[in-house]
Amino acid sequence: MSSSSSSDDDSPAAVEPTPAEETAENKEPETAIEEIAAPADAEETTPTIAAVEAPVTKTSSRASGSGPVVRFDISQSSSLTTIAQTAIESLIPILPNTIPSSLSSAPNPALALLNDLETIAQITALLRRPTSGAGDDNLCRWLYDTFQSSNPDLKLVVLRFLPVLLSAYLSRVVSRRKSLAGFEAVLLSLYAHETNRRAGQPLSVNIPDLTHPSIYHESISPHKNNATALNLAVISPSLEPHGMVRSTKRARIVGVALELYYTKIDKIPETSKIEFCEFCRIWAGDVENRGVKKEEATVAVVEEAEEDGIGRIPLPWEILQPILRVLGHCLLGSNSIVKCKKKERTALFDAAIGAIRSLYLRSMHDINPKAILATGSLVKLGNMAMESADEIDYTEIPYQTIINL
Amino acid sequence: MASSVDEDDREPAMESGEADEEIVVREVCANGISIKTTEVEAKLDEGNIQEAESSLREGLSLNFEEARALLGKLEYQRGNVEGALRVFDGIDLQAAIQRLQPCIAEKTPPKKGRLRSESQHAVSQHAANLVLEAIYLKVKSLQKLGRVTEAADECTSVLDAVEKIFHQGIPDGQVDSRLQDTVSQAVELLPELWKQAGCFQEAISAYRRALLSQWNLNNESCARIQKGFAVFLLYSGVEAGPPSLAVQLEGSYVPKNNLEEAILLLMVLVKKCYLGKIKWDPSVMEHLIYALSLCSQTSVLAKQLEEVMPGVYHRVDRWKSLALCYCAAGQNKVALNLLRKSLHKHEQPDDVAALLLAAKICSEDPYLAAEGVGYAQRAMSNCIENEEHLKGVGLRLLGLCLGKQAKMSSSDFERSRLQSEALKSLEAASGLESNNLDLMLELGVQYSEYRNLNAALQYAKKFIDETGGSVLKGWQLLALVLSAQKRFSEAEVVTDAAMDETTKWEQGPLLRLKAKLKVSQSLHMDAIETYRYLLALVQAQKKSFGPLRIVPQVEDDKVNEFEVWNGLANLYSSLSHWKDAEICLGKARELKEFSPEVLHTEGLMCEGREKIQEALAAYINALLLEPTYVPCKVLIGALWSKAGPDALPIARSLLSDALRLDPTNRKAWFYLGVIHRDEGRMADAIDCFQAAAMLEESDPIESFSSVL
Repeated sequence: MSSSSSSDDDSPAAVEPTPAEETAENKEPETAIEEIAAPADAEETTPTIAAVEAPVTKTSSRASGSGPVVRFDISQSSSLTTIAQTAIESLIPILPNTIPSSLSSAPNPALALLNDLETIAQITALLRRPTSGAGDDNLCRWLYDTFQSSNPDLKLVVLRFLPVLLSAYLSRVVSRRKSLAGFEAVLLSLYAHETNRRAGQPLSVNIPDLTHPSIYHESISPHKNNATALNLAVISPSLEPHGMVRSTKRARIVGVALELYYTKIDKIPETSKIEFCEFCRIWAGDVENRGVKKEEATVAVVEEAEEDGIGRIPLPWEILQPILRVLGHCLLGSNSIVKCKKKERTALFDAAIGAIRSLYLRSMHDINPKAILATGSLVKLGNMAMESADEIDYTEIPYQTIINL
Repeated sequence: MASSVDEDDREPAMESGEADEEIVVREVCANGISIKTTEVEAKLDEGNIQEAESSLREGLSLNFEEARALLGKLEYQRGNVEGALRVFDGIDLQAAIQRLQPCIAEKTPPKKGRLRSESQHAVSQHAANLVLEAIYLKVKSLQKLGRVTEAADECTSVLDAVEKIFHQGIPDGQVDSRLQDTVSQAVELLPELWKQAGCFQEAISAYRRALLSQWNLNNESCARIQKGFAVFLLYSGVEAGPPSLAVQLEGSYVPKNNLEEAILLLMVLVKKCYLGKIKWDPSVMEHLIYALSLCSQTSVLAKQLEEVMPGVYHRVDRWKSLALCYCAAGQNKVALNLLRKSLHKHEQPDDVAALLLAAKICSEDPYLAAEGVGYAQRAMSNCIENEEHLKGVGLRLLGLCLGKQAKMSSSDFERSRLQSEALKSLEAASGLESNNLDLMLELGVQYSEYRNLNAALQYAKKFIDETGGSVLKGWQLLALVLSAQKRFSEAEVVTDAAMDETTKWEQGPLLRLKAKLKVSQSLHMDAIETYRYLLALVQAQKKSFGPLRIVPQVEDDKVNEFEVWNGLANLYSSLSHWKDAEICLGKARELKEFSPEVLHTEGLMCEGREKIQEALAAYINALLLEPTYVPCKVLIGALWSKAGPDALPIARSLLSDALRLDPTNRKAWFYLGVIHRDEGRMADAIDCFQAAAMLEESDPIESFSSVL
């Protein structure tokens, strides 16, 4: 983990928010509130709205429409460091054990928090408690507030917990016995952030057609008709504001949260990605490995899920597609590739290939051709990566017994 | 090119440091003289670079830089990268680059002075290579020492130098092959270095620089860079952004995001393989499959797979992949034909995955159901060892196919046999796959179609529970089952609850249900109100449904405007509001000129106004449009049954025919009963009336199969 994140720390993007991010941040809090308040205006009031708003009681006064946004008593001018320090301070009373004081004094407290395994473990344990995620859950409130802050690294801290939050949420939401408004508030804020960032626009891909010339190839097409329609693929449809989690929209909201997770995936610590892979295996229903193969590090995760009798969840494409993008990164993203060449598979690679195999079996069970194609290709690519551990390095100079000038 | 590949093959030995001790560099050559290296090496080992250098200069009559370059290379090849670095640090490489530029100015293409100019090139290119190779080896040394950022900077300077020397890009065939090798290697190494340094944006620029400038790369190395970049774009999670405007030519396709660029590169690579420019690389196709299926563009993928040269894939594998593509793209017929080929007894008749996919396709079409039953059975008998876990899937598909087959069966006996078998298979499947939610819904629908409403209700409730109410179909089924049990108000509560869980845009099917529920409860004004609301939704959707609108959960979510108008026409005519009914019917007809549904409604309206001849004409026209349209068949039968004893046989045959198509049509049973009664067959009449009465008690407001 440390290798990946430390390299990330060096990259300027991790320290300074990009202009786009900053503008999004500035706008965001208001919009989030608008969206939370929206259902009431639209006379769609249902009991759940109150529940969703519960964990954000701090916002409620502002939702009524007055006053500037004040979080952690931040003025726009205060530095990112102060914001992070305040966030860490407000975390102390929530956690059972203390937080190392070195976090606050670190040059970048948010990144220090992101990489502090002990504190992360504490938060994870809290999120996994059977009673977590209710409307009055302080931790959820903290996650919500922290995500609203203007410090991009703090947002990363929240995103880092998305896998464990989703695992708790998705497995419990079916039974519907307890209120999960706390979790839902966090998810909705992620959704609102992504909606804002994209201005609600869909993500689409113009599938290239080689009969037209491109920057990478020439084409001697007789008809130079640029108007020929390219295949337009919508990979994520336009986003409507949601002030509450309606059950038929749950998959979409979760999917968009995962899309957001993916956009930051190169800055997310490896431990979070490994957790994500493990949860994917459980969500897939893990036909083959159930009870047979339990890797040491993940025994706790798997056992717990099995005890609850929860595992397999519905995986519509709107969730499965972002999952596959994240898993593709975990399997073949730059970090695991570099290490893979040194013949030692990383823990992340192993977790990813496990998850992908499970999802492949799941798509066979669902006879979902698109998912079979995508997961099948990843399985093959994973196998190829394992086999070609010692690839030829073409950038090496040829070895000579006679050196010529 | 072939020779360079041979050399490459020897490299792994070079890469691992331990092997170096066995293979010792024997000689260094220059100016036609060669000397043994042992002596020089000994001096180097003592740390005496200067002495080693001077012995080379004297022995081979070299200048300072040449000697240093040779020494560096010697050290590098001995695996002593630190030593190599020390040697290279002694050369002022930047100054050397500066000196190079005037030497190799513009190319002189005229053929007259060819001899002279070529020799001149040879000299200057030789000097250039000397310097560039030295820097390149320095880069490699730095890389091996883990100083990747420095390495990347040095490597950039190699490329900068090359760009300065060759303003117009490297001309083909006029460059010394060793210089070209160094350039190609530097071009290929730079993005790797930036990646190792964790500088992803620099890596992206390096890739683009490698691919968009003229480096005169050979096909293989260009392909390696293209693949490396495509993989980076697909999996790194770093958004590259579109390439700069400078490289964009008018009329050419410019990728705007990672997926577009990766797909373009992969397609270009696949095409190069067809043209024989590069070797086939199976991973390229796998990356393309991944990328295109993520975009749900499996029909494009199918085209790519079809273009793959014969001999690359086994034909059965190709058919199966193509079948998956076409099936995912909704072209089930094509997919099934491909599967039939691959499941032929001379190919791979026992392939479970193909059998299951074929059965799945067949289970969606009553005319193919019997074929699907065969596939499902074959799949189950082949589910052994590794694939045993798929047995439940086979059973499930068997049940679905049997259920569909039952619909087409011509005899009652056969039908009920198939139906009970279907249920048995589905129940057995749910024993194996208790957590398969799709199966739960299918069982619910199957039970409700056989009018086992209590069982259907159980499954519908359980499905909603287990999905957390996230699937619209579950709500629809529950409402329909309740409506069949005549628990209309409860059905309405369910519909309202479902509407709370959906956004306005997706409430169409639920509103339609609600309107029909209102009609069933004779709340006509409420029904009209609901229809009005539905129409408003349709209008709003029509305005905003561009190609990019939300993909709805249910395919036919875009409520059919035609259906709404026709439903309203029906409602008004049942209230004898003929004028309103006419208007609505007119609207419906504008949307769909020839449709049995409109003619059906028109007939009902004529009948309501005692225009029997016109009504009959409308019904018959409907049947001419669609010979299997049951409602009109029943209505014609009903009209004929009132037309006197001569017409009774015709009426009876029409009604029997209707019942063959739809055995649960209560009206058909009722009129058949009337005919039997009129003809004096009381026992038959009683049977028919009983059937009609029973069916009426369990009639849903919409067909149950509309859910799936």
